[in-house]
Amino acid sequence: MTLTANKPSISGQRKRQQDNKRQQTLVAIVLGTVFLLAIILSPLVLGESGLNTVLTQRNQPPSWAHLFGTDWLGRDMLMRSLHGLSLSLRVGLLAASVSALIGTGLGLAAGTFGGWVDAVIIWIVDVFFSLPHLVLLILIAFAVGGGTQGVIIAVALTHWTSLARVIRAEVLQVNSADYVQLAHRLGKSSLWIARHHMVPHVVPQLIVGLILLFPHAILHEAALSFIGIGLSPHLPAIGIILAESMRHLSTGYWWLGVMPGVLLLLCVKAFDWLGENLRSLLDPKTSQG
Amino acid sequence: MQRLKREGLIKGLSILLASCAIASCAPTSTETTADNNTDQNSGGQSGSAEQIVLAIGGESEEGYDPTLGWGRYGASLFQSTLLKRDENLDIVNDLATDYTVSEDGKTWTVTIRSDAVFSDGEPLTAADVAYTFNRAAASGGLTDVTQLDQATAVDDTTVDLILKQPQSTFVNRLITLGIVPEHAHGENYARNPIGSGPYKMVQWDEGQQLIVEANPNYYGEVPSIQRLVFLFVEEDSAFAAAKAGQVQVAAVPQSLAVQTIEGMTLRDVTSVDNRGLMFPYLPANSKQTPDGDPIGNDVTADLAIRQAVNYAIDRQALVDGILEGYGSPAYGPVTGLAWEEPEANIEDAQPEKAKEILAEAGWADGDGDGIVEKDGLDAEFTILYKADDSIRQALALATAEMLKPVGIQANVEGKSWDDIEPLMHSNVVVFGWGSHDQTEMYNLYYSQSAQGDYNNAGYYAAPAIDSTLDLAMGAPSEAEAVAYWKAAQWDGEQGVTTKGDAAWAWLVNLDHTYFIDQCLDVGQSQVEPHGHGWPITTNIADWRWTCD
Amino acid sequence: MEARRKGQIQIKVILVFVAQKLLRLGLLLMAVAVFTFVLLSFSPIDPVQAYIGADMMQISADQQAIIAERWGLDQPLWSRFLDWLGQLLQGNMGTSLVFNQPVSVVIANRFQASLQMLAIAWFLSGFLGLTLGIVSGALAGSWVDRLVRLYAYTLASAPTFWVALLLLIAFAVSWKIAPICCAAPPGVLSQNVTFWQHLHHLLLPAITLSIIGIANIALHTRQKLIEVMQSDYVLFALAQGESLWNIVRYHGFRNILLPAITLQFASLSELFGGSVLVEQVFAYPGLGQATVQAALRSDIPLLVGIVFFSALFVYTGNTLADLAYPVIDPRIRLRGQAHS
Repeated sequence: MTLTANKPSISGQRKRQQDNKRQQTLVAIVLGTVFLLAIILSPLVLGESGLNTVLTQRNQPPSWAHLFGTDWLGRDMLMRSLHGLSLSLRVGLLAASVSALIGTGLGLAAGTFGGWVDAVIIWIVDVFFSLPHLVLLILIAFAVGGGTQGVIIAVALTHWTSLARVIRAEVLQVNSADYVQLAHRLGKSSLWIARHHMVPHVVPQLIVGLILLFPHAILHEAALSFIGIGLSPHLPAIGIILAESMRHLSTGYWWLGVMPGVLLLLCVKAFDWLGENLRSLLDPKTSQG
Repeated sequence: MQRLKREGLIKGLSILLASCAIASCAPTSTETTADNNTDQNSGGQSGSAEQIVLAIGGESEEGYDPTLGWGRYGASLFQSTLLKRDENLDIVNDLATDYTVSEDGKTWTVTIRSDAVFSDGEPLTAADVAYTFNRAAASGGLTDVTQLDQATAVDDTTVDLILKQPQSTFVNRLITLGIVPEHAHGENYARNPIGSGPYKMVQWDEGQQLIVEANPNYYGEVPSIQRLVFLFVEEDSAFAAAKAGQVQVAAVPQSLAVQTIEGMTLRDVTSVDNRGLMFPYLPANSKQTPDGDPIGNDVTADLAIRQAVNYAIDRQALVDGILEGYGSPAYGPVTGLAWEEPEANIEDAQPEKAKEILAEAGWADGDGDGIVEKDGLDAEFTILYKADDSIRQALALATAEMLKPVGIQANVEGKSWDDIEPLMHSNVVVFGWGSHDQTEMYNLYYSQSAQGDYNNAGYYAAPAIDSTLDLAMGAPSEAEAVAYWKAAQWDGEQGVTTKGDAAWAWLVNLDHTYFIDQCLDVGQSQVEPHGHGWPITTNIADWRWTCD
Repeated sequence: MEARRKGQIQIKVILVFVAQKLLRLGLLLMAVAVFTFVLLSFSPIDPVQAYIGADMMQISADQQAIIAERWGLDQPLWSRFLDWLGQLLQGNMGTSLVFNQPVSVVIANRFQASLQMLAIAWFLSGFLGLTLGIVSGALAGSWVDRLVRLYAYTLASAPTFWVALLLLIAFAVSWKIAPICCAAPPGVLSQNVTFWQHLHHLLLPAITLSIIGIANIALHTRQKLIEVMQSDYVLFALAQGESLWNIVRYHGFRNILLPAITLQFASLSELFGGSVLVEQVFAYPGLGQATVQAALRSDIPLLVGIVFFSALFVYTGNTLADLAYPVIDPRIRLRGQAHS
């Protein structure tokens, strides 16, 4: 009951609005997924064309022939950005998935077993929280020797904390609910309770948490590559493309840095959008604004 | 009411904190002189005879201690060395008045001038020289004086440097090791470098800039430019600062050298900063390094392949396309230096000749895939390069393209040094070297130098070349050693270059490009070496501001 | 009489709280330090090779051995660790390989530079974030709100270093109103640098750093304010004819202050991490840049020192937030646990 919304209480109109909202959400989810899949799969479809060194067409600004311009070796920037983004997205997805698994596992353990298990896990989470995220990433990436594996391991080992906390809170909440207490009294095994009561609450949080984790993972991978610690293969990831663009700032070749960045931004936003819409679909409490 | 008070308190505290932080003192800098009432220059904007700003990169984070390696490229600024190289790279005296080498080549006796004074007023004596050399030999820095056994001061102006073994290239230590005062050298010396050089330190804002001033007690001609400011920024920012008129000397990469800046000229300095392809010399599975890395590559172990690669590549095209013309073709490790053997140079860009060489050695394309084979082995190898170096990447990609028509398949991969290290003894690698010190040639080609690290990574071994290199090292002076260094490259019958064993495919020498203010006369520059440092500052004491 | 006793109890509670916090801090720092040291020691990056770099051809194996000895790298791991621990307990954090200076001196110097930038960024992000959040929340649904949300959501998804890059291109290269690098104009002696020049060089990095913080704080504040505006007492106030501005001022502001403060202090950690990236882009010689250099050269003493220091910094921030709660909302008692 609010005074701020001016909704007429005609039930038909209201139902139409609700339907539209649900449709909108579904459409949003589909669009988001399609966009992201397109980016990830683009190298397969487009192949390696445009990545050849053509010294005669180097440093050209965006044009119809090269939508994102060309770099100092004459390579098409749109191709490079797509390849780089695809790589970054895949790395981000892999790392985030591993992280989500760790987070869920630890969160469940903390919530279910309680006691000293809970205390230890909470303490570990505190330790992780007490360090600036990027510093921790640099530390782990370096300990493992840098490179692709360094970035994946570093990102995977640092992004589970928030998810673990959320899942733990969820588990605790469910555990203390009346119907679960009742189930215990009625003699249902812990496993049965886990399957029938925990999972429906935890899974939505997991999925949404996972999707919202990706942007962080991707941004952090880009940041590490930018600093020079991350992926350094022949076919660079988006962070490296952006780092390289720094060397050409004062010559006015702005497209080297701006265009790939915009593409990255769009991808991250797509994930956010996807995550928010999924959340309103799966967790109706949050669907009304 | 209570709450409002609390809120007010919090707000007030945070504002106070913030303004404290902002208004707090400027970032710390090491200041060594109390020159508090020094004049002007609100922004180092334009140069003058009083001050110029240089953006030539390469801050020495460790500080300015020659015993740790400071000053090995370019001028030591604060300290002076016994000898130095002039613009033609001939060796001339600096602190030293004369030096002789004993019969057995192990004792170097140097006499120094008696009027040299440190910036704190104390005179420079042979004791300081002996101390410097002994200290440098024992310190874990970037100057290698391990050949020194002992340095002793015979009297105030004579010092004996006794080596463990004769080494003609030891003269390079006399050229690059600045002399430090024994009485003032300690843990903090690197940040307060007292020396007898043309300049003394005024202020060092770590990570930002170094400000130095002419040393009035300098025994030579006091520099005409009173104050130098070295700005530590990336190449791109150096260019931007030059464009904005804030620096008078800016080191820029070749890709930026094609731009124009009003009021500045582009100075194109030849260098021996080279790039080349290193071939593994032995066949595969011959042995392993101490770390267990594989040695050898069956394809590159064939002389015909190595020579064919050398002939197929068009080096001038590489210079024009990748270096924007700011470079020159290289056919050996010391192209452009006085000890280069010009007879070793070949006519490259001859894919037909390359094909001939391969055919004569039995390489033919039996299965029509465009790649030649011999005894069932495809002429295929991997070229590795340091991933974030765009010039090496371009060179690798371009040479791979040039080898395709000849029937050689080169696969290019970029990796970090850590990833390259285990693979570099069995794959082709793009390396870059180039030094005024011939020890480098020794380390590149002497068979015993190969120990499983970067020295002679290809495990090249030729007994005849080994003895030539030994003769070069054992020669009593650099001038006499030159004949042997040349012979090692190509003496008419054998050598390490293409006509001989073709151990490497040297590609290009980079030119070092600088934007220099039109009013600044920097004299004639040496052929600069590879490495981080300020080679252009070698003659900085002679620089002049020519505008009024 | 009663008031004095109450005061005494309050002081005692605060002291106990602080003591507990200090104990936890000590434990935390020890764990962090051990964790870092062990982790880094397994790194395959060789600090000697990283140091030598391009001079590989000039440095013989003998010299490399001397360099290794200089940094104690020829000792086995456990011996190095015990040495380091012993030194640490005496208050000595060791010597940095990269800077050839005691680690504590390096951190002190670099942090002084970073602190100013962090302070401005922190203040800006808090102030602007709060303001934007309140405006946007109070006028929820309007075009102002939409604009703020668009800005916030976009920025929250953008990589910090990319935003920094864009700002650098726009303000320094294209319009030339900000300097392209560094903390002071080149060639000027430090005592001659004016306050305004100093600020001029600080401004762009600080603004960049604050931008993403603003986005987060604005969004969260807006959310909280909307919740408040939907409560019963606001409804009551509106029914009584109270203006929107007064409602926000007397009801909204106080209720969102607590979450806002929490966010503010939590953002310290993000700011610190962000400063690493911003300093790289703007060539600002602060602690962030030193961190990257230490990592690239495998400078264990310095890196451990920085990790130590940053943990201290973040922990202090969180503790300050904890201390602030009972001041803002007397219903909250000081507790030793972390607030989730």
